[in-house]
Amino acid sequence: MTKTTEELMRLIDRIPDEPAKPSEFILPELMAIAVAHEVRNDDIVFAGTGLPMIGIMAANLLNAPHATLIYESGICDGKTIHVPMSICDHRAANMTSALGGLVDTFGYYLQQGYVTLGFLGGAAIDKYGGVNVTSMGDYFKPSHRFTGSGGNSDIGTMAKRTAFIILQEKRRFVEKNDYTTTPGWWCWDFKTNEWKPKKEVWKNTPFADCGPSVVVTNMAVYRFDKAGAIYLETQHPGVKLEEITQNCGFDLNVTMVKGETPRPTYRELFVLREFVDPELIFLPQKVEYPAVIKAIIDA
Amino acid sequence: MEFLTLEDAVKKYMHNGIACSFSGCTGFNRNPVAFAWETARQGFKDIHVIDRHGSQCTWILNAINAIGIYETDWMGWAEMAGKLDMNMERLYKAGKIILEDYSHGSMAMRFLAGAIGAPFIPYYAPLGSDLYNPKYDALGRAGLRNGTNPRIAKKKFIQIEEPFYGDGDVILLPAARPELAIIHVPQVGSKGTARWRGVSAIDKEIAFACDKVVIVAEEVIPESEMRNYPENNQIPFFVVDAVVECPWGAFPSAVPYYYDYDVSFMREMDAASRNESDLKKWLDQWLYGPKSWQDFIIKLGAKRFLDLRADSVTGYSTRIMRGKKPAPRMKMPLSVARSGY
Repeated sequence: MTKTTEELMRLIDRIPDEPAKPSEFILPELMAIAVAHEVRNDDIVFAGTGLPMIGIMAANLLNAPHATLIYESGICDGKTIHVPMSICDHRAANMTSALGGLVDTFGYYLQQGYVTLGFLGGAAIDKYGGVNVTSMGDYFKPSHRFTGSGGNSDIGTMAKRTAFIILQEKRRFVEKNDYTTTPGWWCWDFKTNEWKPKKEVWKNTPFADCGPSVVVTNMAVYRFDKAGAIYLETQHPGVKLEEITQNCGFDLNVTMVKGETPRPTYRELFVLREFVDPELIFLPQKVEYPAVIKAIIDA
Repeated sequence: MEFLTLEDAVKKYMHNGIACSFSGCTGFNRNPVAFAWETARQGFKDIHVIDRHGSQCTWILNAINAIGIYETDWMGWAEMAGKLDMNMERLYKAGKIILEDYSHGSMAMRFLAGAIGAPFIPYYAPLGSDLYNPKYDALGRAGLRNGTNPRIAKKKFIQIEEPFYGDGDVILLPAARPELAIIHVPQVGSKGTARWRGVSAIDKEIAFACDKVVIVAEEVIPESEMRNYPENNQIPFFVVDAVVECPWGAFPSAVPYYYDYDVSFMREMDAASRNESDLKKWLDQWLYGPKSWQDFIIKLGAKRFLDLRADSVTGYSTRIMRGKKPAPRMKMPLSVARSGY
């Protein structure tokens, strides 16, 4: 018998909060949960479509129930029932506290300094967390043209901390970006044509200390040191160090590795699968629960 | 204010080389698709789209190379159903379209400046981004920032030291001043007062920033009804030049509380745009095939509309298949059930 959502809901606290085995989840699930762990209960979060949205919705059901979610189309603190496919999907606007537009979200909330955490994607990232979502190769004659900034550059520079989800490949983890859409801890000062710390370029603005704080890829989790350079923090289960360095286009700091990225727990997977994306839109590949968990669900 | 048919409104308000903006939010919410569709059919070219992102409208216009300048910040159109506009990418690589990049917040601010009649507006983000690298000014490079076109600012931006409070460097952005706004709304009063429910994106700012405004509406209702809860209205009648009544005119994007987005139709559009022969087939079937917008809607078939009709409480439909499984029925959001507001 298939259970209703309400019946499933009562089971959440009975599902063990123990790490699942690597064969019991898929990589996007691990990444979504890694995202969720970044969210604090008092955060005001500004998230983009896709895995960031999924991860933050999961956090709202798990470790950060009172975190406020903002979507750039004008949505403030939506209490969603069905997962949105877009930042302006009306599903995201369910039970919002306030509903406005882009001027509200980018002006009143973001530039006014309320947003504490941004969660974004990217096509490529440099050593200092500068992100490219615009183009590869020459800007005017690109080998690849992407969608361009959207809210990436606004959120990534004005939220107190920003997390990025990026697919890790050598051409996407680069010493210098072909085009920097969202500057990281080092960026160009176009007035003097010098490559400088962001803190100097943004000196005296309200956003000098805002910037990237964590990067989640399909291989690992990274953070930034005091000088603003990226370093490896944890490797995803089963990923070897050589794979990570081979898929990185610069000399990566691996001296501060803390071990393995925490595997999602059965409870986290249960929440992600049954409540965040039960329609299988973002996480279409469904892995069977192990027998112990199945027994709890089917009982 | 005048009432026009879709065909007549496009004929009267569009022209080759026009600078215009479309309402809604990405390809999902309140795009004036019927208007863009009719524009494509009437063959207008060299359109200068000034917008805060791509949409169903820019997808259709790019499919037939009708856009000459695309001044925006996000060149995608359908997020999870089709990210980058492949038609646009093809045109860009062939040198047939000029792309001017801004950011989402900066386009919102440019329209806000345009809406309140200010010539420019200061905005912080993103200082140090290549968006404000003087080398990457596409309209300047094309020699179009010479002051002859009133829709194109003489500079892409100016970086200055904030002169009043000493708050570091800030970017000055030129106001957006397109000629025509095309806004899709659910309801318009018989005098032109317009309202929508759900997100606003920057539609109010667009309406005020543009010289002329065409409202495309699901329904025209007595103006007296619009005065009952006036705080729900966003656009006053005196900025509206023309009204077109066009039910299902935003398909396949959504109009909250009227109908949902059609994700399967959007996925078909995205698939068609990936090669030119499929695109031609799509255009023959969906752009040139139907005799009118009404005919287009009839061709979609009644089943589709049974699924897409929005629930009157949530504002969207729980009957459409968006992923591999149907939407579950739920009484209230889990986040609220577990921990309150």
